[in-house]
Amino acid sequence: MSIRIQRVPSENMAGGLAARLIAIVLALSIAAIVFAMSGADLGKLGAHVFKSTFGSRFGLMDLGLIVTPLILTGLAVTVAMKVGAWNIGAEGQFCAGAIAATAVALFVPGPTILVLPLMFVAGAIGGMLWILIPTLARAYADVSELITTLLLNFVGALFIYYLATGPWLDPSGLSFAATKRLPHDVPGFWGDVHWGLPIAVLLTVALAGVLNYTRWGYEVRIAGSNPAAARYAAIPFRRHLIVVMLMSGAIAGLAGMFEVIGTTHRLQGGISNNFGYIGIMVAVLARGSAIGVIAGAALMAVILKSGIALQTQGVNISTVLALTGLILFFTAIGDELSHYRIVRSKPA
Amino acid sequence: MIDFRNLSRRRFLELSGATGVALGVSGAGLMRPALAATPLAPVAEEDAVIAFGYVGPTSDEGWTWQHDQGRLAVQEAFPKAKTIFVENIPYSADAGRTFRQFVSEGANMIITNSTYGDFIYDVAKNAPETAFLHCDDRTLMDNMGVFYPSHWYPSYVTGVAAGHMSESSKLGYVASFPVPSSFAGSNAFLLGARSVKPDATIQVIAINSWFDPQASTQAARALIDNGADVLFGIMDEPGYLQVAEQRGKKAVMLNTDSRKYGPNAYVSSIMFDFRKFYVDQVRARLEGKWVPGQFLLPFGDGTDRDAWGETVPAGAAKAADEVREKILGGWNPFQGEIKDNKGEVRVPAGQSMSDNDIYNWNWSVDGSSGLA
Repeated sequence: MSIRIQRVPSENMAGGLAARLIAIVLALSIAAIVFAMSGADLGKLGAHVFKSTFGSRFGLMDLGLIVTPLILTGLAVTVAMKVGAWNIGAEGQFCAGAIAATAVALFVPGPTILVLPLMFVAGAIGGMLWILIPTLARAYADVSELITTLLLNFVGALFIYYLATGPWLDPSGLSFAATKRLPHDVPGFWGDVHWGLPIAVLLTVALAGVLNYTRWGYEVRIAGSNPAAARYAAIPFRRHLIVVMLMSGAIAGLAGMFEVIGTTHRLQGGISNNFGYIGIMVAVLARGSAIGVIAGAALMAVILKSGIALQTQGVNISTVLALTGLILFFTAIGDELSHYRIVRSKPA
Repeated sequence: MIDFRNLSRRRFLELSGATGVALGVSGAGLMRPALAATPLAPVAEEDAVIAFGYVGPTSDEGWTWQHDQGRLAVQEAFPKAKTIFVENIPYSADAGRTFRQFVSEGANMIITNSTYGDFIYDVAKNAPETAFLHCDDRTLMDNMGVFYPSHWYPSYVTGVAAGHMSESSKLGYVASFPVPSSFAGSNAFLLGARSVKPDATIQVIAINSWFDPQASTQAARALIDNGADVLFGIMDEPGYLQVAEQRGKKAVMLNTDSRKYGPNAYVSSIMFDFRKFYVDQVRARLEGKWVPGQFLLPFGDGTDRDAWGETVPAGAAKAADEVREKILGGWNPFQGEIKDNKGEVRVPAGQSMSDNDIYNWNWSVDGSSGLA
């Protein structure tokens, strides 16, 4: 009997899941070893982290607030992946959505019940506009969306700085490089956690349904996995590409809208908190599954919140960033490995 | 939600002098009497938790390092108390999460070294037993005091030296954001220089960060390319000093003595010392005497210039030090007529700017470009 290692074109579900779990456990173990080596009491640190996340009402609320934008940015990246596009620009679309929603909040008078839906629409359109040029460039000139979406992130972040320190600066003079406090608020869902969270979850489930169980979703998935085959089957690849990429931008824009209206209440530089970039990690962890997006976002939220709690114990924030990097790194290795299987064969 | 807007507007009016209260710097640095709030209950030293929230890394050899010296002084003065700190707190919802984490860990006092706005007000409002000290802020709450160093005086003094040393009469300023501290720093520096060279100008570049060595280095190069030969700024790191050193120009720094990064370029630095202030505030908190107030660390006591750099001509140092002595003796260098950079007279002849005016400065003086 000989043992061969064979590469298979499609990874298996169980392998992918196992790869993720092993990646997370490995990354956490490495972090634990580093902490232990620097003289930390692991039991105490663990108890502290638990109390600051799942173990207290405030901890749970913070998790809810962090997970909301992460689900949306993770979903945005995942949706684009379905049609074979890498949306690295969720960060920029997040900013654009925040800007558009803020514009409505600042300049459209009216009761919250009317203005809030307008902000929702504006946030989606803002994100959509931000990805429009990369989308058209990809669809008609085959320009890599990886580069164009990425570069627009910096434009988006700087545009917020320009608005928040320039024309939209709080006229009271009391704010630090921010707009005035927006006169509307997303209603509370549980404590500080606003309705953005259930809406993000519903949107994820709904989109998963559409992508998995409709003819349109089927065509998008075919177009994404094999554009040549899609063309042969008379599936309009370009149209699907454009529609799905715009959807992706709109979803990331919604993340920005909820962050500015529901959580920070002012537009100011830095509000994106890297949620757009972390959304890429969420999407990689999720492997294209909707439940995966929610689970991946939850995991990242726990890591980010733990990072805040760990810092008061003298752990540097860079350690936490390194931890998220390690998880991504091990997952990438695991993903590749799960394409291989061990074949035992008897000699002929 | 919190009705913060009304609160702040009323307080802002009080602060801006509209109520007619004269605000001067007293020896203790109290700009404005504390609120008529009842002091928080005393805390035993061994039970005390004092938390520090920093905008930059403690290793920045600048603003945050200087504040952390204050924390270490508190730890030394109250060895049984516990001090905790978090560095690199961003201007995002993460700031609020960090402050709330402090509260949930039992912090009796939270001291932050940058302007976190709502992210700190929202937490303070729900933590009435915790005292907050918020740097570079203007909003007092029943449990929140504010403080800042009066950096504009040494900025003026070093500006006098820069006026003597500049050959191109062009100065450069690496700003963070277009906020009052950037306006006050660049304006004071230029006014000092103009007292020597009336045609001096200053170009300002804002880099949207307090700590971004790459951006500050780029800004410094651009300023020098445009002819500036003495740089100043409000950075938490010595990047622009290194550029000045490489290019054979001069630089005035902020926070610490950083001459080792550019011994030939180093003119002086605006030095801060928060140790005494922090220890006093923490002591008051522990003894149950703490009430919030607005504090300005006075020139000569917590805010000053550093010893002059080795390449500063004796004449320039002497002229600047004479101005320093005059200011310490009570002279106000911020006297009319002062025009803004659009030509409008903002401070008429015969009037002068109060500390409070300068603390809230939001326009550029004549000869300054780039900020607003």
